[in-house]
Amino acid sequence: MVAVPKPRRGAITGKRWVFLVSLGLMAGLLFVPAGHSDYLNLTFRNILMYAAMSYGWNLIGGYTGYISFGNVAFFGIGAYCSAVLSKAGVDNLFADVGLALIVNALFAVAVGLPILRLRGHYFGIATLGVALGLTDLASNLDFLGGSGGASIKQIGEAHFTTYYYAMWAVTLACMIATFFIARSKLGYAFVAIRENEEAAQVLGISPTRYKVTAWAIGAMMGGAAGAVFGAANGFIDPPTAFAVDNNVFPIAMAILGGMGTASGPFIGALLLSGANELLQQHFLKLHALFFGGIIVLMILFLPRGLMYLVGLRGGMRRWLSDLAVFRV
Amino acid sequence: MQLVLQNLVNGILSGGILALVALGFSLVYGIMNIINLAHGAFLMLGAYITWQLWSTFGLDPILAVPIAFVVLFAFGYGIQRGVINRVVRAPVLATFLLTFALSLLIETTALFVWTGDTRGVQTAYTGANFTLLGVTVPWAKLLTLVVALAITGILYLWLHRSRLGRAIRATSMDVGAAQMVGVRVAHVYGITYALGAGLAAAAGALLTLSYPLTPTMGDPFLIKGFVVCVLGGLGSVEGALVGGLVYGIVSSFATQFDVTIAGQHLSGTGLQDVLALVVLLVVLIVRPTGLVGRATA
Repeated sequence: MVAVPKPRRGAITGKRWVFLVSLGLMAGLLFVPAGHSDYLNLTFRNILMYAAMSYGWNLIGGYTGYISFGNVAFFGIGAYCSAVLSKAGVDNLFADVGLALIVNALFAVAVGLPILRLRGHYFGIATLGVALGLTDLASNLDFLGGSGGASIKQIGEAHFTTYYYAMWAVTLACMIATFFIARSKLGYAFVAIRENEEAAQVLGISPTRYKVTAWAIGAMMGGAAGAVFGAANGFIDPPTAFAVDNNVFPIAMAILGGMGTASGPFIGALLLSGANELLQQHFLKLHALFFGGIIVLMILFLPRGLMYLVGLRGGMRRWLSDLAVFRV
Repeated sequence: MQLVLQNLVNGILSGGILALVALGFSLVYGIMNIINLAHGAFLMLGAYITWQLWSTFGLDPILAVPIAFVVLFAFGYGIQRGVINRVVRAPVLATFLLTFALSLLIETTALFVWTGDTRGVQTAYTGANFTLLGVTVPWAKLLTLVVALAITGILYLWLHRSRLGRAIRATSMDVGAAQMVGVRVAHVYGITYALGAGLAAAAGALLTLSYPLTPTMGDPFLIKGFVVCVLGGLGSVEGALVGGLVYGIVSSFATQFDVTIAGQHLSGTGLQDVLALVVLLVVLIVRPTGLVGRATA
């Protein structure tokens, strides 16, 4: 029997001190509502929302290596769960999130069993198909409000603060869940599938079971964020629930922060969403140009994400030689 | 019978242009493994170039097709050699995001140059149609189909007969082997991406005949092109053609779909794309490499 080398510390959750810094930042974000500014609450709630969605994508895309282009579907379903409950007379955030978790888990398993048999691009396009199909379906179902959308009753007067804390809690849960999942047998199985699915199977890991698990847990994360967003927004229609930005931004954030790490999505969301917000505030018309420029530079110089810089040994020269590998 | 025939013709008419949209996307995807999210932006640029030529010089959109193609070909070559080739070997997500950002840049710039106003092109044959065997056919759409099929045919011949075309196909099969027999991969990648951009522009030019122009007009076509090229099979001309026609015909017949389940009325006109996507999912599950795709290593 060959001795299995102990995995490098932080190999699948990222550096531990980075995670501790992220937790510290999360604790700091608890004080945002103390500023008594609806604008700040909204801005940071959006950052937290994107972080939670990015965590959801990270489990299937980052850890398991199945690149999904349709995770916005879960966000949308979560938001619509709040709308349906509100219509039924239930206006309770716990109920909203609870329903979103259940519905998304069931939906993810039902959809995941057939499409997770597909590999690579074919899986990606199938997930995109699911998200687009749901968008059109939601526009055509009367009980969801059709293309006109549905409104959701807001709670209380201090609702900005309440919803902010709810989103904060969801994001913290995603972050901590990712950390522990990645260090458990489950997480090792995900990474094994990402690195070599056949080899993982030989080792006795059932790819289908673990892929569907990663996909479903990710779905629950996105769904919870969607449920809180729906309730906080007070209104939901297909273009809001299944927005293209909500599909692309979480992926960009996971890449910038570091795919397959427990702090990457949060750090990516903080930087990218923060930059977008600042640009929007200062350059109303030009902000899309700046934002696009930032992503171009990020991909050209940091295609492996920020976590790569954290682990970099060998300085500038090593960085450039690592970049040259991608050239043709 | 009349209805079936009419739907079939509508499907083929819209499928032809979808095939052209998917063609460039499919080449870039199949040969370089780049999901080119800027494809829709290139299509939009082609459409606006056509509109500009029409409104300034009164040039017919059909005649603008080669001009749009050449301009975007050069633009695409520059972008590939200057930007994308730097990270082309990185995981597919890097180029995915890079092209997303490029499309953001292009669409925002277009918004400045041409504003967000909806534009349109009027020709002598806009809105004119003829009837054959009880089937109504708009001239503009027929013309679009003919030109789209002609371009597809030329591309097929070029890829199979010319030296550079063969180099492109060789690169898509095995980059290392192609390099070893003297193919300049960076140049081939540049040409492939340029072709993708040029074909998108040609499709955009043709679309001005029947679609209104806005800076974001390319987005829905980008997604349809994505679906069509996977439906048919990645990286092949035949695949894009078959995929486009299947998509067109399915979504055309979908308009006839009309049911009421538990008091919920579902009409096909709003669900055209849903049904096309359901077909896509079924095809993917039954034939994971597309309708005419071959098994890949």
